[in-house]
Amino acid sequence: MAIRVNPSLIDDLERYGAEDVQKCYHCGNCSAVCPHADESYVFPRRSMRSLQMGLERKLETGLEPWLCYYCGQCSEQCPREAEPGETMMSLRRWLTARYDVTGISGLFYRSPKAEIAAMLGLALLTGLGFAAWGSTHGQLGIYEGEGAFLNSHYVHLFDWAMAAVLTTLIVANSARMWWLTIVKGTPAPVPLSLYLKHAWRVPWQFFTQQRYKDCGEPRPWMLHLGLMLSYFTMFVLIMFFLGTVQSDTWNPVHVLGYLATIGLVGASAFMIQGRLKKTEAQHKHSHESDWIFLAQLLYVSVTGILQHVLHRAGLNEAANITYVLHMMGVVPMLVLEVPFSKWAHLAYRPLALYFAELRREAIGQVEAPPLPAGARPVKAA
Amino acid sequence: MSKPRIGVYVCQCGTNIAKMVDCEAVAKAAAALPGVVLAKTYKYMCSNPGQEMIVQDIKEHGLERVVVSACSPRMHERTFRAALATAGLNPYFFEMANIREQCSWVHDDPLAATEKATALLRAAVLRVAQHEPLEKMMVDMCPDVLVIGGGIAGLTAALDIATAGGKVTLVERTGALGGNLARIDLTAPYLTSARDLLVERVSRVRSHPRIAVKLDSQVSKLSGFVGNYKAEIVSVPSNGGAPLEIAIGNVVVCTGYQEFDASRITHYGYGKLPNVITSFEFEAMLRAGRIQMADGRLPKNVCLVHCVGSRSPEFHSYCSRVCCMTALKYAHEVHSALPEARVCDLYVDMHAFGKGHEDFYKKTSEVKTLFLMYKKGDRPVIRKAGPDDGVDMLIEVNEQLSGETIEIPADLVILMVGMEARNDSYEVSRLVNISQDKEGWFIESHPKLDPVATTTDGIYIAGTCAAPKDIPDTVAQAHAAAARILAKSARGRIEVDAVFAEIDENKCSGCRMCNELCPYSAIEFDPVKKRSHVISAVCKACGCCVAACPSGAIKGRHFTDAQIIAQIEGVLA
Repeated sequence: MAIRVNPSLIDDLERYGAEDVQKCYHCGNCSAVCPHADESYVFPRRSMRSLQMGLERKLETGLEPWLCYYCGQCSEQCPREAEPGETMMSLRRWLTARYDVTGISGLFYRSPKAEIAAMLGLALLTGLGFAAWGSTHGQLGIYEGEGAFLNSHYVHLFDWAMAAVLTTLIVANSARMWWLTIVKGTPAPVPLSLYLKHAWRVPWQFFTQQRYKDCGEPRPWMLHLGLMLSYFTMFVLIMFFLGTVQSDTWNPVHVLGYLATIGLVGASAFMIQGRLKKTEAQHKHSHESDWIFLAQLLYVSVTGILQHVLHRAGLNEAANITYVLHMMGVVPMLVLEVPFSKWAHLAYRPLALYFAELRREAIGQVEAPPLPAGARPVKAA
Repeated sequence: MSKPRIGVYVCQCGTNIAKMVDCEAVAKAAAALPGVVLAKTYKYMCSNPGQEMIVQDIKEHGLERVVVSACSPRMHERTFRAALATAGLNPYFFEMANIREQCSWVHDDPLAATEKATALLRAAVLRVAQHEPLEKMMVDMCPDVLVIGGGIAGLTAALDIATAGGKVTLVERTGALGGNLARIDLTAPYLTSARDLLVERVSRVRSHPRIAVKLDSQVSKLSGFVGNYKAEIVSVPSNGGAPLEIAIGNVVVCTGYQEFDASRITHYGYGKLPNVITSFEFEAMLRAGRIQMADGRLPKNVCLVHCVGSRSPEFHSYCSRVCCMTALKYAHEVHSALPEARVCDLYVDMHAFGKGHEDFYKKTSEVKTLFLMYKKGDRPVIRKAGPDDGVDMLIEVNEQLSGETIEIPADLVILMVGMEARNDSYEVSRLVNISQDKEGWFIESHPKLDPVATTTDGIYIAGTCAAPKDIPDTVAQAHAAAARILAKSARGRIEVDAVFAEIDENKCSGCRMCNELCPYSAIEFDPVKKRSHVISAVCKACGCCVAACPSGAIKGRHFTDAQIIAQIEGVLA
């Protein structure tokens, strides 16, 4: 059955940051230079082609954009300056919107103004809520314990409620991703045994980002891994050890908190520097969502630090106000950014690498019997 | 008659000959042949010292004939004949034995190669003894020129020749000058107006005192030979009047092309689907200033299909060269007239070979043209869309770069029809006595080194009657044809080769067999004397008539029976 071409899809993708896709004339240099493209997943070229042609269904069921970490070699090699790396990046944004069941993601990516307005709105609501709650349940002059402006016990409960919302959204969107890429997009049945066989890939990729390392340059990988681990550590600390984090300085949990903070601030500063300098291919083009991501990260980290310092300095009133300001960053970040924007790749990328292996093997089982040892794999169509 | 004194030279051609042929042995064998007074070998006979050696030996040893055993006469016969002339010897007292192309290069057994080289040289030595002195002739060259066809090539050639002082008769079959270019809106890749290109040329031609423009006319007869042609021009359709007779020295044929008939390809539904049009119909739309569908609506999806009639085994195997850039031009024109419309470009390969073409291609991809590649021989299929499709037509194609079978929405399909030789090209080729290739294009004298002359002296070709080409190439060829003619007529007289066929009137029976046989129409029949005679300036010395004459009345100069028999005896001895 012929697939209908949608010539205006490319216009839509422009709002996700794709700029020069039409310049591509399919020499294939990008796929040749890509350390990750192989017989089963030929990218960026095929993705560029599907996008040029508006093969919407093929793109939304594809996994290729997630297999790319944007090392930028393809864009450097491109004889037509068609920016294949940036196209893959735009496709990741587009896919994030596609996976999202609520439609909020698409709205944010297409309209940064709407995204900022939503952030500010939620921040304001958070600020007012915390201020109202704090002033009725405690005193601004008290930071900890009985009568505290923001009692850590209740904040903790609030955090858990937020985490529940966040988890629900991420699980729902990931399920949709699975539906699109495996159920609709894999032309072979995936048996349960395969799911089990490859399940280890999700945590492995999540914690090591081994594949990013294979891109070649160690620096971007280390920065990215550092940022991700710091973020993850901080998340776990806040979710499970909020009481302990705020205890004495040399508690091991506390030290971990410091390290994670250094990681967050350091990595985001390097990334902001990269996007401002624009010397590396992967940092030449910045979508509004990239800036919002980094700005938010930095804001949350800095207000967190400040709040901590003020508290330690005994300036309880200032610490409480900063805490509210901090939460005004945290809540929009967790509720709006993590499930609907750039943050979501935290879940999609390891899942995609897992699904990609499932698809490769499921198709391989249908197409050809197991090969004798030493034989070359059959080139996938 | 005493035996003429013959000098023999065996060239080693560096190692080209020497590596396979024992040159010394060949020279030694030649030295023993009757009449040979000296036989030498040398590294490069064609070099200045090599030529000077011949000149010196002719003077010192009183040589009367020279044989050089070296490369092909096509390569250096001229060189060595000139050496003979320098030494005061008739240049036709020379013979070449080709022991390179026909011997050392093609054999791998040195002994056999040496033996063969010896035989070839022996043949040349025996032949040269029979050579007769010949003189080249000079004939008058009329400076006036007939240009057939009033397109951009004809206009260009006519202006060049007239500017230099010659009188030009420009014959155009239709009622207007400009040819196919007059049907075109903008030109690729700079998007300049075709009308502007033409208007200037046409008005200059119209007002030029030395150019006579004959519209609605055609050449009905051409006779004579280079420098001395006579043409008859009649009006089309014939008005019964007497043909206009003119005398000219040369002819430039610029009869152009016709477009491929798109209805021959059934896949495209041309003639059945109202919104499938040819590139020329689209040009007419552009010139009228409105791109529209058959019912007057504006198209939202415009599709361009390349290689319609070109590069396909069933129709024409060649590339028409202009369609790729024309299609890109359409993408720009659609984009500027209808910014909302989408352009899909269905191509096989994108040929962007010319100056500025690659940049133009890149620029077109930037104005959101969707390039889709189909496979040669696997044509897209155009069909009417259903009522729910929201579009007029759907094109199904196996897209090569994605490997997908896709359906493209289309409201207007433009078929990029290729160029083909005109239906009357055979009649034209007979009229001016030039050859056609299997596709009907006129053949050049040499595809690389002489792309404007033909095998008939004084007949030149320019533009798309020779092969598909774009405007710059057409104009360049027209300028080149004019320049060739001007160079030849500058001296007022031209030299004609001394080698041609001669008819002995006393032996000729007037059977006229040779008249029809001559591929160059070089033989005329005199109805009064009832004898045929050869127009020596037209004859190419092919020898057909010599072999065919039942009375043995025709002699090929420089290819006499005695010479050829001597040569055969030499090889076989």
